[in-house]
Parts: sequence; structure tokens; C-alpha cells
Amino acid sequence: MDETVKAMTTEFEEYLRDESRVVGEAQSISFPKSEEDVLEVVSLMRKSKNPITIQGARTGLAASAVPNGGHIMNMGKMNKILGARFDEKENKFYLRLQPGVLLSQLRKILLNKNFETEGWSNESKSALANFAPGQWFFSPDPTETSASIGGMISCNASGARTFFYGPTRNYISSMRIVLANGSVAELTRGGQKAKGKIFSLDTLDLHRIISNLPDYQMPNVKNASGYFVREDMDLIDFFIGAEGSLGIITEIEVILLPSPKAIWGITSFFPNEKTALRFVRALRGEKVEGADIFNKKPVAIEFFNHYALDLLRKQKEESTAFAGIQELKDSYHTAVYTEFHGDSDQELWEVVAKLGTLIGQLGADENNTWVANNDRDMEKLLSFRHAVPESVNMLIDQRRKSDPTLTKLGTDMAVPDAYLDKVMDMYNSDLALKGLEFVIFGHIGNNHVHVNILPRNAEDYKTGKELYLQWSRQVVDWGGTVSAEHGVGKLKRAFLLEMYKEYGIGQMRELKRLFDPQGMINAGNMFTFN
Amino acid sequence: MRIIVCVKQVPSTNEVNMDPVTNTIIREGIESVLNPFDTYAVEEAIRIKSALGGSIATISMGIPTVEEILRDTLALGADEGLLLTDRAFAGADTLATAYTLANGVKKLAPFDLIICGKQATDGDTAQVGPSLAVQLDIPHATDISHIESIDEKKIVCRRLTDDGYELLEMDLPALITVVKEINIPRLPSIAGIRASKKASIKKVGVNDLTVDESRLGLKGSPTQVVKTFIPSHDVDCEIITGKPEQQAATLVQRLTEKNLLDF
Repeated sequence: MDETVKAMTTEFEEYLRDESRVVGEAQSISFPKSEEDVLEVVSLMRKSKNPITIQGARTGLAASAVPNGGHIMNMGKMNKILGARFDEKENKFYLRLQPGVLLSQLRKILLNKNFETEGWSNESKSALANFAPGQWFFSPDPTETSASIGGMISCNASGARTFFYGPTRNYISSMRIVLANGSVAELTRGGQKAKGKIFSLDTLDLHRIISNLPDYQMPNVKNASGYFVREDMDLIDFFIGAEGSLGIITEIEVILLPSPKAIWGITSFFPNEKTALRFVRALRGEKVEGADIFNKKPVAIEFFNHYALDLLRKQKEESTAFAGIQELKDSYHTAVYTEFHGDSDQELWEVVAKLGTLIGQLGADENNTWVANNDRDMEKLLSFRHAVPESVNMLIDQRRKSDPTLTKLGTDMAVPDAYLDKVMDMYNSDLALKGLEFVIFGHIGNNHVHVNILPRNAEDYKTGKELYLQWSRQVVDWGGTVSAEHGVGKLKRAFLLEMYKEYGIGQMRELKRLFDPQGMINAGNMFTFN
Repeated sequence: MRIIVCVKQVPSTNEVNMDPVTNTIIREGIESVLNPFDTYAVEEAIRIKSALGGSIATISMGIPTVEEILRDTLALGADEGLLLTDRAFAGADTLATAYTLANGVKKLAPFDLIICGKQATDGDTAQVGPSLAVQLDIPHATDISHIESIDEKKIVCRRLTDDGYELLEMDLPALITVVKEINIPRLPSIAGIRASKKASIKKVGVNDLTVDESRLGLKGSPTQVVKTFIPSHDVDCEIITGKPEQQAATLVQRLTEKNLLDF
């Protein structure tokens, strides 16, 4: 085991940072392959009083995986699929995984059915009889497919399709967790629940943790901020979206759904943002003046404001990396991407024909649409969507050459449906007033767009940060969240404080101490431990 | 300007299984799409039409369901589609295919330009385009990456070669095959699909053509697939370890052993 815990040398430098580009420090690192390894490292670190930072694939944007001294436990080598289960009655397929399995790896295996079944039980092997290549899918779809499943659980990741399918939380049926004291808990959805506001959690070595649930209110929107708490809650939900701070996930069972038989994606272009927002509200089934009620719920509703389209136009001209994306007519001002899943192309064509009618009723033109109904064309629409954040990163990298202190300022806030127009107004007018450069894109179906402020200099950066904090106050006031999918990590603690105030954060800290009195595991994520 | 675009339906993936007995692709359960190279041909036709006016006809030979692929080209901006479909056409190699297409093209004549994708992604022969031009007795150029100019009488185009490109001028009518560098194919719009759903695709069988039946289908195909196999790509990889000096020495030794260093 001593070989497993390695001293930090330059060889491991990359593990000091994640996608947030924050660089931390650490004294040692380990790459456990099993729960036994995890337990041994935890025990060693407890004895030497070295706090542990748990890492998945380090794709997070909030610095949750960046160490603050002590030990790094990287889960990258716990990347096996351990077994399978088929529930005929519910028509669901379940896979048991280690936390380091990557989303891209899982998707490939599901598509090609190339499981490595060595060491699987006979039951698991026979469950595969109900598995045809591409027949089942894991619905959470964060843009970054090199994310690990453990990391996705830790920030309750979501993506475009969350609008219909919900976030990662909904697709986790059981987990094994190593707690800070070395106990192991096995949690199954529906298996261990709070009774009203009281919960009691038994570990496998018969430790019992009993307490009251915190009584702060979770926002009623898509959310990845703060510990999940609800009366009669499933205790497994404590550990989803907990940013690794309540325990170390060593095993996961994920729920797979039958793959849709037909998928259509449509990018529609509008002459102004106002019309695009009316379109979004109509797509959600809301009554919009002059338009028929639209009654097929889209799987995704994504938004691109005119600066995002302008940035793509510019990058397409200047960089070969984006030369292949679709050509944008000059008249295209704002874009909305919608996706539908169904049983047949005919069924979805009927939906899309109605979509075209809706576009016309809103005063836009159904000629100004891109329709994809096969994998190849869907891939084109996906590349187009991903080109926006990639363009932003390229631009910022360029600017960092002259001023290395600059970073992108990306928001991740969501508000309730009723505040869609208000929140967009707030972003647009505040940014115009301050004269900042920005793009807006993202999951507008959930009123969850990412405002990316593109600072040109230190002053822009400072102004942007102030705006960000100001917005977080307003968003919380409207019943929204400061982080809907990226998590809080170490970068957004001030915003979480805005959301839950000292009282709520105090309760979170108490919950953390109940599971981890010494602050051994991922202390410093979401709030300061002391 | 009258433009004809030849298109083919192909499996949407390169990962297909072969029937070991008949040596043909097992198409069951695999989504079919418009041959990727043909999407560039259709796009180029639409661009020429919007610059010069005129009309676009798309043509394909295949089973009745290929009608949908032709309909997809109408959704993009083609004006009419013609499907050559008959049991007598089945089993055609590139020669018989080109012969059949040539007779189909005559139904769409007169024309100024025929555009094909450089090859189909399933057969990968790149023979049908040039063969069709020969059958129609018109000039042709393959691997076109850019059209410099085009009018009613002639076309000037860039042909991609291994070393660069050639500039070619041809009298019309002519045939070109295009590579993916030529444009970025558009996606259909809702309005385009709506219109294509209402359009009818003309279907033509052997009885509608004046042809030599011995030159059609399997009968007219001199090509025989004797055997198919998966080429092996065995790559040996050796990781050289040790101190940098040792690694460098070992690397030099290995390269010398393989006669890859020539001082």
C-alpha cells in the first residue's frame, strides 16, 4: 500500500488543477483500484492527519477537485463495469460501475455492447441477454463527455437533455460510500429514507448516524448548489451533488432507459431575441399570444444569443478549427435548438411540422431552420452547439497571452419559469450598461443560461465579478439558484452564502461534521469547513 | 443551367458486418443515409443554381426505399428526383450501374452538368462517375475541390491532387466528381422538408428504358468478388524506459536494426 500513496512530484503536476484552471497544492497522491485501497488510504491519512481531496476526471469548472494541501485521491483507475441487472417489469437496465468510469467510455460500451465481463456473476452475465447494442442509454449528457460518473454524481451533472429526463440524480439507484471514519455505507434508492425531518443511517459495520435534517429550503428549480435536503428524503440523495464532501463513492448502480427509436434536432433562427423567448415559452407548453398551444414536450431547449452567433461567425473566418461548422446567414440574430425523441420518424415529422407552424405564427420563418434526423446531421448540430463554449475558451486563451490574470466569467444560475423574460432583461441591460463583452448560451428551457463575460482587461474582470454577485442576489430573491449544474466548489462559495445565508450554510456545516468531524474529505467545497 | 446530381444510399456507419457466404454487406438494422460525398454534390448544385438559375434533378439506382433519400435531396433544394428501380438492375457492379444511370440521365436530358460525389462510402470504388461520363460521351474531371467559374458553355474547376491542384477547363455538358473540400453542405429546413413530402419521385423500371438488357444488373457485371477479408493492422509498440541517455541509445539501436537510420 505504501507504493499506492506516492509523494507529489512534477510527474503528478497536472493533478493539482482541474478545468477551472485553478492550481492547488498537495503532498501526496494515490490512485486506488478498489474499495479496499480506498479504505487503506483513508486510514493512513486519518492517522497522519492529512485531508483528502477526491478527484474524478477533473473536468469540473468550480475547482471542487483542486487540492488545498494534504492528499489527492484520484479515482481514475477505478474504472471497471462490475455487473448488470435487468428489470423486465419496469423495462429498465441497471449497470454497476466504479466511479472512475468515464461518460464517453460508458456511451461507447452501450453503443457497441463490448463489456469486459471477467469477474462478473452469472446473474450479471445472463442479464446481458436482454441487451442489444445501442438499445439502452444513460440520459445525463453534460457537454464534457470525458467527465467521470463519480464526478457527475458529485455535482449532480446535467446537460441539454436534462430538460426532459432530469439530472444525474434521477439515474442513480444505489451507491457504496466510504465515510471519513472508515465505515462503509450501502445506500439504495427507496431503501433508506428519512422519516419526516429525522434520519438514521446505518453503516455496514453497524455504526448509526442519527440526526435532524437541516431545515433550509432548496430552490424549486434545476439545482446543483448545496446539500440536497427534503422531508422523507432518500438518504442516497445526500451524497448526490455533495461535491464529494460527505463520503467517497466506491460503487454506483446507474439506471439505463430504452434508447429512443427516433431523434430529431432542430436549430431555429429568429430575427430578434424577443421572438426567440416567446418561442421558448411556447415550446414549454405555455400560452403565447397569437400561437397555438404546443403539446409535445421537447427533450432539450437550448439558446444562443446574437453575440454567441457573432463570435461563431468570427471564429469560423479566423480559425480552421471551426471552418466546418454550418454557415450562418447575416439575418440570423438569435438561435434556439430543440430536440425531440419519439417512436418513429413519421411521429416526429408531425411534431416538427407543427413546430414550423409555430415559428410562422410568432412572425419568424420556417425556412430559417436546420433539421437533423440522422446521426450524421445530429452530430453537425452538436458540433455547432459545442463550438460556442470552445470559441469562448479560445478567445480567452488568446487574451491571457497579454494578461494572464484574465479568466472567463461564466454564470450558471437558474430561475423559476415565470422569471425567464426578467432574468434575460437583467443580463442584457446590466451588461450593456457596463459596456462589457459577453455571449449568452445554454439551457433556456430551464431558464438556465450561461452568461460568459469576456473581459478585455483587469477592469472588465472586476466589473464582471461585481455584476455576477449582484445577479446572484437577484436570482436568489426570485427563488432561483446560483449554480444549476456546475456546482459550487471552491470558486462559488460566496454565491452559495448569498443563497442560503449564514443560517443555511451553518446547517450544511453541521451536516458535514456529522459525517466527517475532522474535515478529512473534500473540506472547503461549497463552504469553508471551520 | 440544368444540373443532374447522382446520389447513392449507403449505410450510416463504416462498422458493418459482411455476409460470409454472399460477400455482401448485411444491411439489416443499419440506418441508411445519403452517401456523405453526395451531400457535397447536392450542395454544389444548389449553389450553382442560386447563382445562375435553372433546375436540379437528382437520380439514383436502388431499391424502392431509396425514394426517401431522393426526397431528402428535394428538401435541400433539388427540383425533381428520378429513381431507377427494378429487379433487373439488382447485383450491378460499377459498369452496369453506370450503364443504367446513363440511360436514366437520358430521361432527364438535356443537361449542362452532372455532379457526383467522388465515391460512395460503402463500395469506395470511385468508378461510377467517370464511367458514366464515358457512357454519355462527355468530358469529366474527378476530385474537384472548387469551381472557379461556370457559364452556359464551360466550367473551370480545381482538381485536388496528391501534390496540390490542377486547374481544368471543360466544355459543357460535362461531369465532375467532388471532394469534401468543395463546400459545407447545408441541412434541410422545415419548409424544405414540408415541400419535399408533397413532391412525387419518378420511378423508372427496365420497361421504361430502351436498353440492352444483357448489360444490366448481375448479368451485365463482369466484376466478381472472389473473396473479402479484413486487412490486418498489426502494430507493435515497445515502450523504451530508462534514463534519457539510455532511452536515446536504445532508440538509435532499434532504428538502426530496422535500417531506418541512414547517415
